[in-house]
Amino acid sequence: MSLRAGEARPALSNTYRWSMPANWWTRKRHYFFYMLREFTALPLALWLLWFLVEIKRAGGGPAAYAPHGSALFVAFSVVCFVFALYHSITFLSLAGVIIHVKLLGRPVPSRLIVLSQFGLWALASLVIGFVLIWFGR
Amino acid sequence: MAKRITIQATRFDPEKDDKPRLQSYDIPFSDDSMVVLDALNHIKAHVDGTLSYRWSCRMGICGSCGMMINGTPKLTCSAFLRDYWPQPVVVQPLNNFPIVRDLVIDMEDFMDKLKSVKPWIVRKQEIPLGAGEHVQTTSQIDDFKQFSQCINCMLCYAACPVYGLNNEFLGPAAIALARRYNLDSRDQGLKDRLPVIAESEGVWECSFVGECSVVCPKGVDPAKAIQQTKLDTTMRFVLPYGNRE
Repeated sequence: MSLRAGEARPALSNTYRWSMPANWWTRKRHYFFYMLREFTALPLALWLLWFLVEIKRAGGGPAAYAPHGSALFVAFSVVCFVFALYHSITFLSLAGVIIHVKLLGRPVPSRLIVLSQFGLWALASLVIGFVLIWFGR
Repeated sequence: MAKRITIQATRFDPEKDDKPRLQSYDIPFSDDSMVVLDALNHIKAHVDGTLSYRWSCRMGICGSCGMMINGTPKLTCSAFLRDYWPQPVVVQPLNNFPIVRDLVIDMEDFMDKLKSVKPWIVRKQEIPLGAGEHVQTTSQIDDFKQFSQCINCMLCYAACPVYGLNNEFLGPAAIALARRYNLDSRDQGLKDRLPVIAESEGVWECSFVGECSVVCPKGVDPAKAIQQTKLDTTMRFVLPYGNRE
């Protein structure tokens, strides 16, 4: 029997069909941290949506704008910041696996690629921080 | 007094059982070099001849004896009992595959997926033998050598929750082998493989759990092959003239 691309062969009729238990991601540390990594995107997306609302509110000028400062929102922002750090660190650490470049005919070591990613991250953070502080004065 | 160890093996007879069950066997653990496969062979020879499982080479080459050992996919010929004793060892068929009988899985879906990526050297036109050999530099060999170590043991499929949730996913080993041949300077089959590996159930179904690379007994990094293929196929789409061979 030949199958088209992306098609799975139906199991033989007298086999036992294995199915993933709903709690599969709690059974191994690696799976748990993978799920955590994927989950962090959700609160980050919510926080960014809120950030867009704040930008819209700030459109009326500094006199009319008061930032949202409830304790709950600050706590949510701190959690989001930790999630953003975790997501960024895991993402950039994987860059060494994904990116393969050769320099002078030899492959660049993964460690160097990861370090360069973290370096660029630090540089971008410094530039953004400088711009925000400079223009916020 | 000689040491003993308990092996709990999955039993499933499709003629009698609705679902698999575990059966315990208490066997002598006489030698520290004993592996789980030795324990299964002891059960088969001396305790219960009806136990079914696959094995062949006993030296981590053929890839036949992959099973779940205490919940982790391993080659039973490379899993030493001394690492588990005195705790019992639970031996189950590889996750994510239909069970045919006891510890034997139905591997046809994997074989179909493997064939679909044409894991062999594809040439548009064969060079006649008289024209000489296909010369490769060591650097060209280094490009793909890592991925050529795959022995098709399917441990990576058993470890992959993406394949467990959607068995239309092409899967780690098939993609690693596709990359092995796409990186081979002698091969010209990239465009034959792209429709399979670059579609949604190919590399794009993978969400980079990475467990496939952790469990591989031969040190192959299928997660790397998949992510690099994602990057390559994206570049082919984005860059001008990127779709050239």
